[in-house]
Amino acid sequence: MHIRRVAALLAAAVVISACTSGGTSPSAGSGSAAAGGCVVGVSWNNFQQPRWAATDKPKMKQTIEAGGGTFIDADANLDNQRQLSDVDTLISKGAKVLVLLAQDNKAILPALQKAKDAGIPVIAYDRLIEDPSGSILYITFDNVGVGKAEAEAILSKVPKGNYVLIKGDPGDANASTFLPSGWNDAGLKDKIASGDIKIIGPKDGTYTDAWKTEKAQANMEAIIDQANAANKKIDAILAENDSTALGVVAALQSKNYGFPPLSGQDGDPANLNNVALGKQYVDVWKNSNELGKAAGQAALQLCQGKKISEVSITVDSSVAPAAGNTPQDFKTPGGNTVKSIILKPTPVTADSLDKVISAGWYADKAAICKGVDTSSSTAPAACK
Amino acid sequence: MANVTTTAPGQAPATPRFSIRGALTAAEIDFRLFGMLLALVAILIGFNVVNEGTFLRPTNMTTLAVQGAGVAVLATGMVLVIVARNIDLSVGSLVGFIAMSYALLMTDWLPNILGMGDDFPFRWLIALAIGVGLGAVFGAVQGFIIAYIGVPSFVVTLGGLLSIRGAVWVLSQGAAVSGLDPTFQLFGGSAQGSIGGTLTWAVAIVGSLAIIGLIVYNRRQRRRFGFPVRPMWAEVTIAAVGCLAVIGLAAFANGNYWPPGAATRYAQEHGITEPAGGLKIAVGLPWPVVILIGVTVVMTFLATRRRFGRYVYAYGGNPEAAELAGINTRWTVVKIYILMGILCAISAAIAAARLNGATLDVGQSYELYVIAAAVVGGTSFAGGIGTVPGAVLGAFVMQSLAYGLAYSGVNSSEQNIVAGIVLIVAVAFDAYNRRRGGGS
Repeated sequence: MHIRRVAALLAAAVVISACTSGGTSPSAGSGSAAAGGCVVGVSWNNFQQPRWAATDKPKMKQTIEAGGGTFIDADANLDNQRQLSDVDTLISKGAKVLVLLAQDNKAILPALQKAKDAGIPVIAYDRLIEDPSGSILYITFDNVGVGKAEAEAILSKVPKGNYVLIKGDPGDANASTFLPSGWNDAGLKDKIASGDIKIIGPKDGTYTDAWKTEKAQANMEAIIDQANAANKKIDAILAENDSTALGVVAALQSKNYGFPPLSGQDGDPANLNNVALGKQYVDVWKNSNELGKAAGQAALQLCQGKKISEVSITVDSSVAPAAGNTPQDFKTPGGNTVKSIILKPTPVTADSLDKVISAGWYADKAAICKGVDTSSSTAPAACK
Repeated sequence: MANVTTTAPGQAPATPRFSIRGALTAAEIDFRLFGMLLALVAILIGFNVVNEGTFLRPTNMTTLAVQGAGVAVLATGMVLVIVARNIDLSVGSLVGFIAMSYALLMTDWLPNILGMGDDFPFRWLIALAIGVGLGAVFGAVQGFIIAYIGVPSFVVTLGGLLSIRGAVWVLSQGAAVSGLDPTFQLFGGSAQGSIGGTLTWAVAIVGSLAIIGLIVYNRRQRRRFGFPVRPMWAEVTIAAVGCLAVIGLAAFANGNYWPPGAATRYAQEHGITEPAGGLKIAVGLPWPVVILIGVTVVMTFLATRRRFGRYVYAYGGNPEAAELAGINTRWTVVKIYILMGILCAISAAIAAARLNGATLDVGQSYELYVIAAAVVGGTSFAGGIGTVPGAVLGAFVMQSLAYGLAYSGVNSSEQNIVAGIVLIVAVAFDAYNRRRGGGS
């Protein structure tokens, strides 16, 4: 969702970056391919979002190099065509395994075919590739699980009461399908049916065009006014992601409403700061350091000639896949079946902020604890 | 906004028999503006009926006004842009860029680079000044390319829309920034960000006096130059209705009290014992609304009373004639865009303060709402026609629909459907009226 939300903006950013980068050709990263060694080629769709350069890449590189492999990569700058030529370059530089963060899950298929012809196994990193032959390994975080973790945290804090549901863009399957089905897995639907939980505002939740913070704020303000007029108190708010949660906090502030428990996801610095300040209760965090590590491990094993189904990864127990450390079958929305390793997201509250800080997330302690009164008894321990 | 008198010295023909239209013509009230005011009132009453009388409350109307202020501020400038036969698609991106600059200035650049910590005096004002400067520079550059190099404004500002939004990204490296200067946050118009009961009354009294003063002054001036004056009954009615409206709105705004929690906190902090029913502190006009009123007055003045405004309308009405009459039309166009850039800085201050920070998408698709507001407010793409108060009203017609629908629990997809239909209906109605009424 983060990715999607920013994709539109990035289309704009390309204009600038195309100028500033002076049209450099895909610069294959460090070192030349050592003969006989394991060369892992990584094709990123973009480096504009800080996360990839800050966490995913360093961790993946570190894992591969620690295992005796060589890491080479290229950034396609949001361009499908460029990503295809990047893959060509990576293959000609001697990549034995490819890790692809696809710009488009179908436009990447010609590159997949080339890899297959060359006998190179492919890992779809973070984003699915709709591969009809099912030959890829898909390594990602569990999106339904994110919704489940959000709702579990809020429901255990506020088991009964008036809820507001803030959803993302109506055209995004994450907003309309995956995350709400996670909420229902956690018991939201049953509690609504039993009458323990009542929804203020639209029963199906309030959608937020393009996941826009300002729109979420305007919607939330209207909902607060409506609740006040009806003499109802808002006890908890389920927001699907961090950009909408930020808008909800702005609305609560402008209305002096106080801060009922609120969810979000992404681990954005501003939101983790709100968690530390007690303005957002939970932020479901996808520790992409571990994702990078898992992909690095899988790449090394594939290099050594293991089949995809024989891969086994070891990650931190907090993100360990519910289905075990080996690839499982995954039915894609496009009707294909691919092997997948799906990591578990981590709910972060004020009590567990240290998890994020110690993991070396790109939001560091200074950013997370900004404005926290450390002398206060209610300040989170991680900030003291 | 209560001042709905037109300033064009039109002829006021004597009315042979009474009709509403005739009376409005005699009183020189802009028929279109009046119709829009009625439409706005009808929309608000409609929502009130649908919501069983809970809608028309001071709190709700305050929210509506604050939410609409940012777009309305921009609409006052967009009128002039469109009147001068141009367009500005870059306003949303520029608002986003300046909002992000404010956020970074106050959280990072001023404190960390220049050493201006939290207690640095007028830090918010420094940030604001830099923002206004940025807006003026961006506006000047776009205006220069349009006016002197001759690139169509649609193309220049479309490029601006893309590249300035990209620059927001470059500035922030993709992350949201939060935690602004406490004084700056007042621009956002929460309970604390409002001027309070007493000042609201003061504003109302000044406004009433201004209405009366303006009417007296106009009458004198017309006498002096031998122009026909309005009938006395019209002058008195307009003055009375105007003052009543201003004072009524002030009373209404003061019916909005601080939320109980905030009032209790305030009482504790100031050592006041709370009365039984809770402390009632009037919120009054929120700062964004005060700013909007100021901007509307200044922009109306610029558009109707200054040479600049005359040039803009002359150029929009007939560019060749304006050029031949010796107007420096190119410089006029540049000035319009500089003004638009400054308004972007003001709108960005409201948006950033409301969010207490900035995200990557601040201001996104504002250009569409702003153009819609101007057009619903009676601005014509043919050029030369449009008023500042009309655009502000147009902004509030659109905003009251958006807020009213959200308040009634209607989701955003349906909100957009309604907004789109209203836009087309408003312009169609306008076109019909123009043809029937025989011009402006």
